[in-house]
Amino acid sequence: MSESAPGGKISRVVADGINSGEQRSLWQDASRRFRRNWLAVGGLVVVFCFLVIALVGPHISPYDFLEQNIFHAFQGPSEEHFLGTDDLGRDVFSRMLHGARTAALVAFFTTAISLLIGVLVGAWAGISGGRADEFLMWISDLIQAMPGLLLVILINTTLRRPIINAFDTLYMQTRNPFYLNTLWLDYVLVFSALALIGWPGLARLVRGQVLSINEEDYVLAARAIGASEVHIMLRHVIPNALGPLVVAVTASMGGAVTLEAGLSFLGIGIQPPNASWGSMLEEGRRYWQIFPHLILIPAVTIGIVQVAFVFLGDGLNDALDPRRNT
Amino acid sequence: MATFLLIRLLRWSVGLLLILLITYAMMYYGAGDPIRMMFIQGEDFDTEDEVVMLALRKKYGLDEPFLAQFGNYMNNLLQGDWGRSIRIEVDRPVLDIVRFRLPISMQLGIAATVIGAVVGIALGVWAALYHNRLLDRLIVSIVLFVNGIPSFVILPMLLLLLVLQLKLIDVPYGWNGLFHIDSALPVAVIAIGVLPIIVRQTRSAMLEVKSQQYVTTARAKGVPESRIILRHMLRPVLTPVVTALGLIMIGLVNGSLFVEYILNIRGFGLLTIEGIKKVDYPIIMAVAVVGTLIIFVSNFLVDIIYPILDPRVRAQ
Repeated sequence: MSESAPGGKISRVVADGINSGEQRSLWQDASRRFRRNWLAVGGLVVVFCFLVIALVGPHISPYDFLEQNIFHAFQGPSEEHFLGTDDLGRDVFSRMLHGARTAALVAFFTTAISLLIGVLVGAWAGISGGRADEFLMWISDLIQAMPGLLLVILINTTLRRPIINAFDTLYMQTRNPFYLNTLWLDYVLVFSALALIGWPGLARLVRGQVLSINEEDYVLAARAIGASEVHIMLRHVIPNALGPLVVAVTASMGGAVTLEAGLSFLGIGIQPPNASWGSMLEEGRRYWQIFPHLILIPAVTIGIVQVAFVFLGDGLNDALDPRRNT
Repeated sequence: MATFLLIRLLRWSVGLLLILLITYAMMYYGAGDPIRMMFIQGEDFDTEDEVVMLALRKKYGLDEPFLAQFGNYMNNLLQGDWGRSIRIEVDRPVLDIVRFRLPISMQLGIAATVIGAVVGIALGVWAALYHNRLLDRLIVSIVLFVNGIPSFVILPMLLLLLVLQLKLIDVPYGWNGLFHIDSALPVAVIAIGVLPIIVRQTRSAMLEVKSQQYVTTARAKGVPESRIILRHMLRPVLTPVVTALGLIMIGLVNGSLFVEYILNIRGFGLLTIEGIKKVDYPIIMAVAVVGTLIIFVSNFLVDIIYPILDPRVRAQ
């Protein structure tokens, strides 16, 4: 908006009168709306703390999360052990810190992979249309039609053994110590499986955004005055699709944390000796009537983190979609 | 409409075949030989006897190459023979096991959905009538809060509260029929999972309907408020709720799994976990078939019910 345009000053004055402040961008507006929602701000704070703990937690933990001391088993919270000890005398607080890293790793990689595939496939389907669109959407439909949890469980139980066998053979042949350590395999399997069932939703979202934004009058106008497709993509489609995508990413991270905990709870996801909130919940379940703190601590933590993700996602949704709040 | 449904049916058949092929391939190449696992895990036999193993493999048709095995399975399935369980309930026909276990999960799921839908619609309508007032905010916040907590967290917490702290109930264990006191907790936990989706759908649909002109007209004519809510507003509100119910049926396939696992209810969810942990091929295939069919059928039903509820969709 140029100042010298006729009438520019007047409309600016009028706009100022209405807004009683200077002009704000879409994102400034969104952040203002977001900050007014204290549940969402609370969610953001908790999610931020969760990510920080996942990052630095294992470095500040008072004990090694694997260190067993059978004589100190089943202790309640004390000065020595902040949250007590479990059935093998391991420090619960240290294990919770390590579990935070597990949850955050799975959440991050699940979301990153499904976002990458989802955006590529969704944009491809939306832009090209026709046969390619139909085929890609059929595949994503098919994956969504499969019972998701069953698929994830199947992948985790069936792919583990062949990969470990293959690594054993490779180690025998090459004597490369890299093939000896397969502890990271649990993580890779969990987040690959979760990403596999996660990308179709994101692809549908991106495709829908591309299609609907392409129909907007301002895009037609841009095309009519000769804007290139790349320009339209960068200038109109991506900025407009960003809001819903941010909300979807938040939901995806929260969902991945739940599913990882759920899988590990069933004894299928992250295997011992790695620590996960889900497997701690399962271990605590065996003694819940005698030592309730062992089940209470992971349960409350999973609950708090989940609720935080939900509040954050809801707040972002309200803030980024102005049509909803007027 | 008929061609539309026919095309859908065709697509789903191809989809189902693909899903079963992938599942069988994952079992065959990944999970390994259930017969050898009987011996390794030492539950069923003490020593590894190659002759016995060979005979057992032959008995279940596991000695054939992959495509022959899968072909046999599909052939039998189409003739109504779902195979026999290898390890869970040895030699019992899988169809029998499914017939016994699926109704348990179904009863839990349907009871929970009915309770969740009734309470959810009531809360959603109530919230919308008090839009942006304290009551609305309270309901929305509580629903959001509940929405965040997974069933495998809610259930242990409720157990701690009700059994250990308040000593209100004994530990529920196993399946004693839907109307037994032990079923109250699992139904409640599954219903809590259903509630948020219903409340949200009802509330937003209700808000849209509230400002419609025919509602104002009815009010101007002097129709009592309760009648306006029940007759004029609720019907269009139910349409999106039915869609949500379809989604919920899909979710229940997963949702009751954790509840059954924790309370040791021998339903379909627990069968899934047992089958996978014991590499029982016919059971896992049955779980895949039934799970996928439930999803297909509930999608199908939503497609059929939708135009009945909403005349605007029928017109298209």
